[in-house]
Amino acid sequence: MSILKLKEITKVYEGKVAHLAINQLSFEVEKGEFLAVMGPSGSGKTTLLNLISTIDQPTSGDLTINDLNPLQLKSNDLSLFRRRQLGFVFQDFNLLPALTVEENMVLPLTLDDQPVSIMKQKVNKVAEQLGLSSILEKRPFEISGGQAQRTAIGRALIHEPSIILADEPTGNLDSKAAKDVLELLSKVNQKSNTTIIMVTHDPIAASFCDRVLFIKDGEYFNEIYKDDRRQTFFQRILNVLSLLGGNVNDLSTIRLS
Amino acid sequence: MTFQQFAYHNVIRNARVYAAFLLASIFSVLVFFVYSMLMFHPSIEDQFLQNIAFGGMFIAQVILIIFTLFFLFYSMSAFLQARSQEFGVLLNLGMDKRQLNRMIFLETMILGFISITVGIFFGFSFSKFFFMVIREMFLLDSLPLYVSWKPFTLTIFVFLSLFVIISISSSVFIRKKNIIQLLKGFGKQNEEEVYSKGRAILGLFLLLVAYSLVIFSLFQLKVYMSFIIIALAIVGTYLFYTDSVLYLLGIIRKRKNLYWHSFRLIAFAEGSIKIRENARMFFIVTIVSTIAFLSVGVVTSFTSFTAQYREMNPISVFYSSNWDNPFEEEHVMKISQELQMEGLSYELIKFKVKKQTSSNLRDKVNLIKESEVNSLAVALKFPLIDLQEGEAMILPNTQEDFNGIRTEDEQTVLEESSIPIQIKGVYERVIFPSLAIKNRSLIISDEDYELVTEPLYGHGLRESHMTFYAFHVSEWLRTKDVGTNLDRIMTQSMGISTVNPNAFYFANPGLNYSIIRATFSLLLFTGLLVAAVLLLAAGSFVYFKLYTDLERDKKQYDVLRRMGVTDRELVKIVNRQLIPQFFLPWGLAMVHSTFSFMFLQAFWVDLAAVSIAMEMLLVLIAFTIIQVSYFFLIRWRYIAHIQ
Repeated sequence: MSILKLKEITKVYEGKVAHLAINQLSFEVEKGEFLAVMGPSGSGKTTLLNLISTIDQPTSGDLTINDLNPLQLKSNDLSLFRRRQLGFVFQDFNLLPALTVEENMVLPLTLDDQPVSIMKQKVNKVAEQLGLSSILEKRPFEISGGQAQRTAIGRALIHEPSIILADEPTGNLDSKAAKDVLELLSKVNQKSNTTIIMVTHDPIAASFCDRVLFIKDGEYFNEIYKDDRRQTFFQRILNVLSLLGGNVNDLSTIRLS
Repeated sequence: MTFQQFAYHNVIRNARVYAAFLLASIFSVLVFFVYSMLMFHPSIEDQFLQNIAFGGMFIAQVILIIFTLFFLFYSMSAFLQARSQEFGVLLNLGMDKRQLNRMIFLETMILGFISITVGIFFGFSFSKFFFMVIREMFLLDSLPLYVSWKPFTLTIFVFLSLFVIISISSSVFIRKKNIIQLLKGFGKQNEEEVYSKGRAILGLFLLLVAYSLVIFSLFQLKVYMSFIIIALAIVGTYLFYTDSVLYLLGIIRKRKNLYWHSFRLIAFAEGSIKIRENARMFFIVTIVSTIAFLSVGVVTSFTSFTAQYREMNPISVFYSSNWDNPFEEEHVMKISQELQMEGLSYELIKFKVKKQTSSNLRDKVNLIKESEVNSLAVALKFPLIDLQEGEAMILPNTQEDFNGIRTEDEQTVLEESSIPIQIKGVYERVIFPSLAIKNRSLIISDEDYELVTEPLYGHGLRESHMTFYAFHVSEWLRTKDVGTNLDRIMTQSMGISTVNPNAFYFANPGLNYSIIRATFSLLLFTGLLVAAVLLLAAGSFVYFKLYTDLERDKKQYDVLRRMGVTDRELVKIVNRQLIPQFFLPWGLAMVHSTFSFMFLQAFWVDLAAVSIAMEMLLVLIAFTIIQVSYFFLIRWRYIAHIQ
């Protein structure tokens, strides 16, 4: 069953120079799938993620999340929809510096006015799952990047959303922390059957996913599915990236784990 | 592009950032200049006025300079802090530190130059208006605009040195950091809020003690108390912002049931960061606002003082003469002449007061003729009296007498002339200055008055008489130049005692009033201007702070919006963050000034029986309205930016 359907999505940025960011892009995401979206800089990855996040509206085309068309919702309902259905992980974590790790994680629940007892129960469970139990009282500037990103994942997970949207979640992390975060994401994906859509530059990050979707200049380019071994999947991703062409500089430095 | 041009462009192209700052410093120059204009005014001849003008302006200028220095220093270091990344880039590109200092110096001097020029320009344009206000206050005949190099030189010199000091001292801040620190910027929000529980509790305790002392003073007034209270309140306020608020927030944050609740989480956490960052500014704003509230309150209460002052001193010019006064005719003539010279129409009512001994009091009483009182009452529009033969009324000497005197009928006998009279009550107004009459005064009917023929025991007939001259002038506020010689004799011989060694007594409420009024108005006027400068400065600071934090806040609100916070909820969060920043200092200032007014009230009652509760309320309401509209203005801009 597909949880997310995009049909002929087009996004044009109006302005002095009109810019076609996404051009008639269609794809579907199955429930419980871990999808990576790859493409060179300026290929429209972030725009795509913003469209799925419902904070930006497509110029034309249809978007369905969980059998709901967010384009038909009023702005207020749309916010409530995001609050309950979506979870976000960002490249630079975007934790609120004033809050502790624990408070950052419960933030989505407090916005929804849940009882404190339930919040405590949930935050303990998630913290244990993410290995954050010992640093719950710390503030974001007192913890490492990996811990910060895990906190952000905890914040995205805690309200059990249908889709987690991750924008370059490993972009600011060293390779060890990046690997931890990716393993964590795939564990979450397998265990709780959470759908994850991740935009990334990093072929290693992409190799943790079930499927990699390549876009170029806002258009569908290719997609590949994972096989039994991550190593070969990684090689195949590299092959497609080199096919994507032109700018080798766009590819991030290759790290092999 | 030369180096100077570079510095110039840095300032001009960042005009939006500097706007509020420039406005505040221009205004400060303006006010300073206007004060100097008055200070050096050549045509103020009046010695007293000159003292007030010079002294008052001097004090106001010193206060202004101190606060301006503080404001400039604080803003400049905040500006430089906000631009630290830019400086990092410049240093990285190979600018050496001497050049950087020169650039900062040049930029500051450009700002200073603009402020001084524009400030003096507007200051000179407004001087005439300012002089008109002063002229009205002091009831001067004319106070023309003049041109002299003195005020210009003083203003330019003072502010130029101020800006030089600022530009040198604020660049020290940059000098100490190395490039990498500058490039990273100052992650101020990443600091833990530190507070000590001891200081937090001490702060609250000091405020509490200060307030209790005020309450205590209502019952037992001690003048030295005011200094203790002020000192306690100032220290307490400071600790309140640096520690107590954070401590209280910390207590709330420990209670998850309270704290983990929709917007409180963000609001409290952000609130404590903002308070820690701005504690000193909040402190200054609180003190400044308290002073502003107070000075406005005091002067507003002056209007009610006028009315009551008039009630206590209904006779415009009063002269009383004992039997042994050789100058009586001369003085009365002089007063009449002076009144005529001033072009004031007047009505002279002469009271021939007789003295007798009252059998009840076993003391002397003054006897005043009913018809004379009535002719004055007609002029003053006071109630007339109608006494039958053998009846009398007590004429109260002071306002307090109304409470002390029994009002039941009373029988007494004027012993020397053996005239029995019945006291029928108290006349409802005070008429004569209390210092002129030492004994109780009775109004008696004309018939009885004629019957009083015997002198006081042990005195001659002449010695039992006194004469009061009441000059009724309807324009009583304009009598300040009448009888100045007599007034000088009175103040020199009496000082502040109540014993009058002269054979006469002179009182000119118009003159006294004009002195009190002028002093107060000047106090208010200068106080208001200084307060206006400071409030503008504080406002510019809030604006600037919001502006520099805007990028960070924008990002934070973007995250929140993605997480599903609706626009309406976003406004709520903004409210909860902005409200404390605006209303915490203001609220504390309100409480402070309420207590200060209470103290002042206790003080005031001794000075004059004036209640200033109503005026105080009006002032506080007016300030509330101003503050609320200011809040909405800033919130409107802020929300427009973050959306």
